[in-house]
Amino acid sequence: MELLLVGLSHKSAPLAVRERLALSEPRQEELLKQLTALLPEAMLLSTCNRVELYFAAPSAEQAREVAMGKIAEVGGPEALEHLYERRGDDALLHLFRVSASLDSMVIGEPQILGQVKDAFELARKAGCAHGALARACGAAFVSAKRVRSETGVGRAPVSMASAAVELAKKLFGGLEGRSVLVVGAGEMAELAARHLSASGATDLVVANRTYSRAEELAAAVGGKARPFEELFSLLVPADVVICSTASPTPIFTKQNVAAQLKPRRFRPLFMVDLAVPRDIAPDVHDLDGVYAYDVDDIQQNVAENAAARAAEAARAEAIVAEELSRFVRARAIRDGVPVIGKLRARARQIALSEVERTLSILAVENLSERSKKSLEAMAIAIINKLLHQPTAKLREVGPEDDDRLADATAELFGLDEAADSLAAGGKGGRS
Amino acid sequence: MRSLLSISVHVYGAAAVLYLAYLIRQSKLLPAVGRVLVGSGLVLHGASLGASLFAQGGVPVGIAQGFSTVALLLLGIFFFLDVRYRVPVIGAFLMPIALAVLVPGLIMTGTGEVLPPGMKGPLLPLHITIALLGIAAFGVASGVAVMYLLMERQMKGKKFGVLFARLPPLQFLDELNRRLVVWGFIALSVTLVTGAFFVSDAAAFVWRWRPTEVATLVAWLGFGALLHARFFAGWQGKRVALLTMAGFFVLLVSLVTAFPAAGLGGVQ
Repeated sequence: MELLLVGLSHKSAPLAVRERLALSEPRQEELLKQLTALLPEAMLLSTCNRVELYFAAPSAEQAREVAMGKIAEVGGPEALEHLYERRGDDALLHLFRVSASLDSMVIGEPQILGQVKDAFELARKAGCAHGALARACGAAFVSAKRVRSETGVGRAPVSMASAAVELAKKLFGGLEGRSVLVVGAGEMAELAARHLSASGATDLVVANRTYSRAEELAAAVGGKARPFEELFSLLVPADVVICSTASPTPIFTKQNVAAQLKPRRFRPLFMVDLAVPRDIAPDVHDLDGVYAYDVDDIQQNVAENAAARAAEAARAEAIVAEELSRFVRARAIRDGVPVIGKLRARARQIALSEVERTLSILAVENLSERSKKSLEAMAIAIINKLLHQPTAKLREVGPEDDDRLADATAELFGLDEAADSLAAGGKGGRS
Repeated sequence: MRSLLSISVHVYGAAAVLYLAYLIRQSKLLPAVGRVLVGSGLVLHGASLGASLFAQGGVPVGIAQGFSTVALLLLGIFFFLDVRYRVPVIGAFLMPIALAVLVPGLIMTGTGEVLPPGMKGPLLPLHITIALLGIAAFGVASGVAVMYLLMERQMKGKKFGVLFARLPPLQFLDELNRRLVVWGFIALSVTLVTGAFFVSDAAAFVWRWRPTEVATLVAWLGFGALLHARFFAGWQGKRVALLTMAGFFVLLVSLVTAFPAAGLGGVQ
């Protein structure tokens, strides 16, 4: 089993490529289903800044072929030009770093860990994360939590929303008394709305396809909810527009924004698109007096803030490296003892300890050495009979072909804890 | 008095360097020292110019003194803005312009132009001072317009460099431009009216289609139309910035043609 990662992110691919690969959840599940038919383990991590496919497969080459095919199918052939690829422990390191928010657009932003967890959950439900990949994710989450609690990387994170507010100030000076139109009522929209009202924006209007959600958000941030149908006329009083809907196609196009400029008396309009795929067509920015920015543009603006966290990030990297080597050591021990051996050793250990217990309860002195032996033999025989079928099946499949059965066995019989305690041995256990 | 002027030019030069350095290096000390230098330069410059003008009866004579007065007023307006709004970045754009206006005048002075008889009167110094004040206001407005265009380019180009970090917000620049153009336009209107009185008094005619007159009238009409478009048609931003610069150029033509015109030294 080899770990492989193929993907693209804000570091390698422009937004135009990423948004084609940003799939809705049902489509993600569908893709996973297709992948599991071909490969034992797969996970799809899709956020607005990255689309990554993780695999655990007997042959990395084969997994690579499959991944390339799927990505070209969904994102078009040019998506292939922006891909990066990591194998084995490099892929592992990448997963650890991504989970710890060290590879994020805004280093330390807290959403990414939840997003990786969601991706893992989706893969687990689809039945394609159960062995090596699942263990890797588990370890990545542990290291990410340590990074969050032990370093300042995640403290007072410069979110996309606050970066967008800073950008708006470069247009308007202060935001005091400005009108804000929030399109979409998700978490991003709420965060942005809170930042804007904290910066002095007074008129907050929320428009959302589901009106009840708009009302909830409006109530939460002290704004007004308006029906989505009025969207374009709502542009007239607005100074700032924040979009974060899940719409697959742009809501605001050059034409429909241009039509509102005259009623606006050509007042400057600041538009921020926090959604991927984008809610604002890129050419809206070409309109005179309209300044439209997407997530990539905002990233440029926060580059400086990211630099300020370099020191904390270095500490975080050290934690990630430590957790990674711990995981790799545990895995080496685990891989060194095949599942069948471990299973038998474990069973034998249980049988013998039970025999010993029984012997200590019985009046031992009355028992001949022979009787003791036969009691032991009986216990071992029960174990062997019980384990015969599983052992045969495991041998039949063979560990090279498919770890699934072996992993299930390890999981069912709790064999990994044994390996973990072995790995931690000499270090006085682990927390 | 010339040595005073020469000292003030050096002081301005030093201030210009500081304001330009501030573009690259964010330090509060640079603009603070710059502010003091501009202030003391203004005092020296004003003393030098005031003494010359007093000797001449309050009227600038020749293109050199005209330019020197414009530079003084321009820097005065900048000093006021910087003290009031704390926008030292404007200095990086205005100080070099002010020096470019001032230095040629320094080299050219001493040609000993004298005011022709019949051009004296209480209205003349007023007319000229207000005219030059208007030109200075439009000069600052043009500097602000240049900054607006640069900032607009940064925002549209999505390249957030050093200029992006230093330049004031777009709306602030647009608003500053609006105020300067309003005050400049008022000054220009007063200039035209007093000029008409003064010329009809002096030479018994009102309009001679001299280049100065034409250029001033064109600029006045242009700025008038610009303000009208701003207030009634919602014009703002890039278009206004470009038109401000065009209007200022026309006014400069008017200033240059005013002094040597027919050897009169008459300013319309």
